[in-house]
This record gives sequence, C-alpha cells and structure tokens, in this order.
Amino acid sequence: MIESSIFGVYEERNGKRRELYTKNLVPGMKVYAEKLVSKGQDEFRQWDPRKSKLAAAILKGSPNIGIRKNDIVLYLGCSTGTTVSHVSDLVGAEGFVFGLDSSPRVLRDFIFLCEKRKNITALLEDANKPLDYVDKVCQVDILYQDIAQRNQPEIFLKNVDIFLKKGGYALFAVKSRSIDVTKNPKVIFQQVRSEIEKKLTIIDYRTLDPFELDHCMFICKK
Amino acid sequence: MANYIFSNIAGNFVIDSGNRIIDKSSDAVALRAKYKAVEHADAKIVLSLFRGKEYLSAFREKNLAISKEKIRLSVNQDNLISQSMNAMQEMEKVSNLLSKRLREWYSLYNPEFSESISSNSKFSELVSAKSREELLKEIGAKNTMGADLGKTDLDAINVLASAIVRINATKESTREYAENIMKSYCPNLLGVAGVSLSARLIEHTGSLKKLAFIPSSTIQLLGAEKALFRHMRTGSRPPRHGFISEHQSICSAPQKERGKLARQLAARISKAVKIDYFRGKHD
Repeated sequence: MIESSIFGVYEERNGKRRELYTKNLVPGMKVYAEKLVSKGQDEFRQWDPRKSKLAAAILKGSPNIGIRKNDIVLYLGCSTGTTVSHVSDLVGAEGFVFGLDSSPRVLRDFIFLCEKRKNITALLEDANKPLDYVDKVCQVDILYQDIAQRNQPEIFLKNVDIFLKKGGYALFAVKSRSIDVTKNPKVIFQQVRSEIEKKLTIIDYRTLDPFELDHCMFICKK
Repeated sequence: MANYIFSNIAGNFVIDSGNRIIDKSSDAVALRAKYKAVEHADAKIVLSLFRGKEYLSAFREKNLAISKEKIRLSVNQDNLISQSMNAMQEMEKVSNLLSKRLREWYSLYNPEFSESISSNSKFSELVSAKSREELLKEIGAKNTMGADLGKTDLDAINVLASAIVRINATKESTREYAENIMKSYCPNLLGVAGVSLSARLIEHTGSLKKLAFIPSSTIQLLGAEKALFRHMRTGSRPPRHGFISEHQSICSAPQKERGKLARQLAARISKAVKIDYFRGKHD
C-alpha cells in the first residue's frame, strides 16, 4: 500500500490493475460491499471505480482532485452515499460533507450513513433551486456535482456561484446521455466545457470510460 | 453603518458592514427591533461566516432532523400503489415458477392429471384438496402411469401446492387493495386503464402528478424507452406502444390497427389522469 500523488488516496497494484483505497474513518464499517484491508494500525477501504465516478477519474489519470483534509464539501446528487463515504474519509473528522439529493428513497439510505459518520449531513432538496437551501449550508471549499439532469451545467454554475469560495475546487461529473441521447458525447462535453469556462478555470478533463460510458469529469477552480 | 440580518437553521444573525457577526438570537423579531432598520444580507458574502465548528454541528443535527421529517412526509398514495404493484408482479412470477416445479413433481405420481389441466392456479388448488383417485375420476381416466408414492412423499408435494394456493390468494387480495386505493385516488384512470395498467403507469413515472404533466404521446410509449431511444439514435422503426399494449383493446387488435389504437388509448388515459389530478372526482 503506497500513498498516491493525490492527498489521502492510497494505491496498490494487483497484477496489471491499480486499486484505490482510502483510510477508513470508522474502522470495521463497510458502506457498500467494498473490501477492507488492515495495514498496521490503519484500516483501508477499497474504492471501486465502477461505482464511483471520482475514483474512475483518478484511475484515468487526474493529477489533482482538490480535496484536502479539513475541507468542507457540498455534494450535489449524493444518492446512497457511495462516493460521499470516500470523500468523508478524505476530509477526515475535522472536515464536513453536505450531501444533497432530491429523492426521498435514496436519501433514506444515506441518512443511515450519516448516523454512522459524524462528518456528513443529509439534505432533501432540489439542486435546481439553491435558494431553497441557502439557509441550510455554509460556504464550501469543494463543490461536487453528479446529477443526471438535462440542465446539469446550469445547475452546476448556479451552485458554484452561491456556495463555492473563491479559489475553491469544483468537480463536475457530466452524463452526456441525459443531456441529449442522440448527440455524440464528445460534442456535448465540448458544449459543457465552453459553458462552464465562462465562470471557472478548467484544470482537468477526463472521460470516464471504460468505468462509466458516456460520462466525463471536469475539475475546475473558481 | 448599515447592519444586515441573516437567518439560517443555526439561528438569526446580525452582521455589520465589515462582515462580522455582532449579535445572534433565536428570535428574529427581537433582533429586528433591537437593531432598527436592518436589511437582508447577501447570502454569497455572509455564508463564509458559518464555517466554524459550532455551526457545522448545528447544521448536521438540524439538517438530519429536517430531512427525516421530510422523508416521513414524502410517503403518499403513489408509493403504496407502486409497492403493491411490484408485489403483485413478483408474486405472479414466483407463483408461475413454483407451479412449474409442482407440475413436474406431482407428475411423478399422477402425470395424466397434470396433462389435462392448463390453469396453474386451478391445478395447485385441486392437487392440494383432492386425492389421486378423485382427480382421475374427474378427468375420466381409468388408471395412471404414475408411481405409487408413500404418505410422507405426498405430504411434501401437498405443502408446496398449498403454499402456491396461498401466494395466489395473497396476490388477489393485494390486487383488491390496490384497486381500493385507486378507486378514491384516481378513479378515472382506473376506469379507462384497469388496475394493473394504471398501477404500472404510476409506478413507472413515479407519481400521479408526474403522469398528469406528461403528454399523451409520452404515455403511449412509457415502457418502450429502449426501442424509442434505439429509434432516435439509429433511425430504426419507432415503437407503437409501451405498457399500454397490455390493455384489452390493444392486445386483442390486429397488428395493423395497434398503432392507431395505442394513440387513442393514450389520449384517453392522458385526459383521465388530468381529471383525476386536477379535480379529484369521478367523472
């Protein structure tokens, strides 16, 4: 197990494959069916790139995902909390994650995760209407968005504008199929890029195949 | 010096023009009275003030409580309908699977009877209720090529048969339950489309509200998404109908008429749903 160039992410080689790990904040606890590995005093959780787009972006070679210890993160589209649990590992006990989703069904599972990890909270809100939850969150260092909506870039920019601090990182997973199924994903990614370039500096762009088809990840700085 | 007021779930705060919190209270009205003529603060600027530990723990506790309450309130008739709908479908599947096994198993003992009756539910009912001799007499067969099984072997078969009978009865009562909900919740849709189709449409879109807001051309193709997107991507032939093909008027129609009928039925369903959602009375 070696520490990778990305903060808090550990790596191990399994034959030809690279496997990612994060240090488990709550030792002994699994979140989904991931592998737990103990090394000395620490316990590590395997980070599955097929279930988490952030892990996929790292494996595709992102040099920097911007997340540091003690960061405050706003996570739009947290679903049941697979990726959130790893982000929560990365920011550590002093950091904090606001997880937001609009579906009561998945948030129900997410709340059980929140009860086990002290640095997460859950919001049942529509990310399209940031003014509805402006009184429930604070300014954040990292904004992560993974929402399958047609107006994903618009939602992203709205939230970046209000909640992200200056100099903070914004991570944006784009699903081209929910913007337009008929168009070539590359064309859509290009459109999204020109749209978010007006407000943010893009430092990295990765397509996520073969882990996720027709998805890409933008890492930007405000 | 203008002061600003900002309220969030951690409390109400008075912020001065240098962006510092100068006072806080749980009572917004009292704060307003104390600092006369306070304006609302710009969220973009003041949100940075709440990054401290004490605020984060307040955010955590309050947000969890609010979300739990919202989840509690989010349960509605649509959820009940889709759960009962899914339960019905799954019981149907299980019942068919087990019935096939029962037929195989029972045929060791009495193959003639299994051959003569096609309805699964009737088969399991009769097997669990009657003996081989009675059943043979019913179908007019004199003797059987089945093996003679002992009492313990027959008992095991009977247990399975009565389990299937119970599953079928549960399915029926679930169906009645769903129908009763829909009679008051979406009577017009129920009248046009019937229990299982109505439930399926609600289940697929998520709620009656969503169903009421989508056009009838979309209703026509609900459940045929795969074929539709294939059509849009590759230009193959478009689908004519989705779930609504299970409706009596379509599944019994000749191939040529199906597209037209599907369009008409979708239009009728669309109207019925809109009446149900916006008026809520039987029409």
